[in-house]
Amino acid sequence: MDETVAEFIKRTILKIPMNELTTILKAWDFLSENQLQTVNFRQRKESVVQHLIHLCEEKRASLNDAALLDIIYTQFHQHQKVWDVFQMTKGPGEDVDLFDMKQFKNSFKKILQRALKNVTVSFRETEENAVWIRIAWGTQYTKPNQYKPTYVVYYSQTPYAFKSSSTLRRNTPLLGQALTVASKHHQIVKMDLRSRYLDSLKAIVFKQYNQTFETHNSTTPLQERSLGLDINMDSRIIHENIVEKERVQRITQETFGDYPQPQLEFAQYKLETKFKSDLNGSILAEREEPLRCLIKFSSPHLLEALKSLAPAALFSRIQKLLCYSASHSQGTQDLSSYVPLYTRC
Amino acid sequence: MAGILAPGLGVLAHLERLENQMSRSRKQSEEPQSVQAQERVLGTKIQKLRHLRDDLKAAVRHRRGSVKACIANVEPNRTVEVNEQEALEEKLENVKAVLQAYHFTGLSGKLTSRGVCVCINTAFEGNLLDSYFVDLVIQKPLRIHHHSVPVFIPLEEIAAKYLQTNIQHFLFSLCEYLNAYSGRKYQADRLQSDFAALLTGPLQRNPLCNLLSFTYKLDPGGQSFPFCARLLYKDLTATLPTDVTVTCQGGEALSTSWEEQRASHETLFCTKPLHQVFASFARREKLDMSLVS
Repeated sequence: MDETVAEFIKRTILKIPMNELTTILKAWDFLSENQLQTVNFRQRKESVVQHLIHLCEEKRASLNDAALLDIIYTQFHQHQKVWDVFQMTKGPGEDVDLFDMKQFKNSFKKILQRALKNVTVSFRETEENAVWIRIAWGTQYTKPNQYKPTYVVYYSQTPYAFKSSSTLRRNTPLLGQALTVASKHHQIVKMDLRSRYLDSLKAIVFKQYNQTFETHNSTTPLQERSLGLDINMDSRIIHENIVEKERVQRITQETFGDYPQPQLEFAQYKLETKFKSDLNGSILAEREEPLRCLIKFSSPHLLEALKSLAPAALFSRIQKLLCYSASHSQGTQDLSSYVPLYTRC
Repeated sequence: MAGILAPGLGVLAHLERLENQMSRSRKQSEEPQSVQAQERVLGTKIQKLRHLRDDLKAAVRHRRGSVKACIANVEPNRTVEVNEQEALEEKLENVKAVLQAYHFTGLSGKLTSRGVCVCINTAFEGNLLDSYFVDLVIQKPLRIHHHSVPVFIPLEEIAAKYLQTNIQHFLFSLCEYLNAYSGRKYQADRLQSDFAALLTGPLQRNPLCNLLSFTYKLDPGGQSFPFCARLLYKDLTATLPTDVTVTCQGGEALSTSWEEQRASHETLFCTKPLHQVFASFARREKLDMSLVS
């Protein structure tokens, strides 16, 4: 086994917390059950690592095996990376997408290897029709740096791919090209979406954030909702307030739904609005041109925070504000549909 | 003896004893009398109580009779109420059953506060498969609020073409795509689960199940060469492939019998659902085995 490979595996295993070690090693499926049983996982970490490296040497681990372990570690620790979203488009009148995983992998690898002699490309398929690609970049003259790889998660037969943010920005165009050509698309564009949470990005981009639907089999949630309202309400609130509170809750429910919101941390909107004023002769109201401003929202969990604003009766104002920023919308809209518009998570 | 020795004392004592004896016997002869008197008293008491019991029993019977009579008067109304309630329940069950039965038509819906939630139930060869929902908001323009259609189905394309102009066509087209996808997925799943023994390697498939690639042997464990099949479904609204290539691994020059088999397999894959083709392979194998033995 190459020294660099041994060092790489060692550093990867050292990153893994002890309580995850057996799970990750099993997912790696490189060392056999028998081999794993010979390891005493209760020793000090250094000793465990030494033993594991020895076993890997016995089995002659290759660079590809080491890269696979790195992918699995990253899959378990997705939140440590920040993910960007890319959207591809097909040319007009293109054929039906007959995606062939083998062809895709070969094509992708070839394009990168033709451009940069030194590059390590590894793949791992997951059950949700996604393929994780790990690329370690080198140059014409230097070997690939295994410690600063880029990860791409591509959902086949969709136009979307998620890429981990890296400092090596100069390789992004090449990566984009490889992805586009290998997946038989025409163009690739970076979306204004970024997050640590792949699941949230997926939910937003695939529009899968609400999977509850009304059917004739389901009991109407209306009764349950009003019950909840009663329990939480102050006994001093009189009838008129009840009506208003129920209305607010209904609108919140329609807008946000009952499902857990995708985790956004940051949202930014460009707003063009005219100023209305009651006072005559207000300078701002007399302006011909609309005012242009930038509105930033930030929160550890933005959508949940906005959802909880509703009972505080601030919600309708924010709704109106956001309505103006999306020029074609009227009335209550699903807030999540605004998200792709200048949003960073 | 004492009486004889002390005659005076003895006699008195004797008399005393006799007296006592007499009073005792008198008491004894009196006792049965008082006992009898007591018995008589108790006897009359028993009779009184018996009379009372009989009276009470009679009263209870009388009461019951009158209550029954009352009930008998009331009963005709109660049975009517019960019948109405039963009829309503029956109607409710019927309606529920009809609504559920709509699932079997493949397309059903439920009105929501803002529009309609359409449910597409897919099926293939009489097997009910997955359901997909599209929640529509009835506004101008008509729009999709949210849905459970998989990402790789061209929902947006179909919506762009038909949603605003011809909603029936939109739903029909979407049904076509989803049913075809479900059908292809069903065939691939059945191949993997039921006929794994005939496959010599893993089945390669993609999300839309429109490209399937696999190697198989007609006689697993036998000497024959495995076949490689590649099925392309270019028509996303179809459950049968548009292009099929079957090649034989291991030999470029095939004997005529192998060539015939290869060609026949290609035709089979084009005309019959995948799992049915493999079912016929499995039957043939059984038949061959039984002929050999």
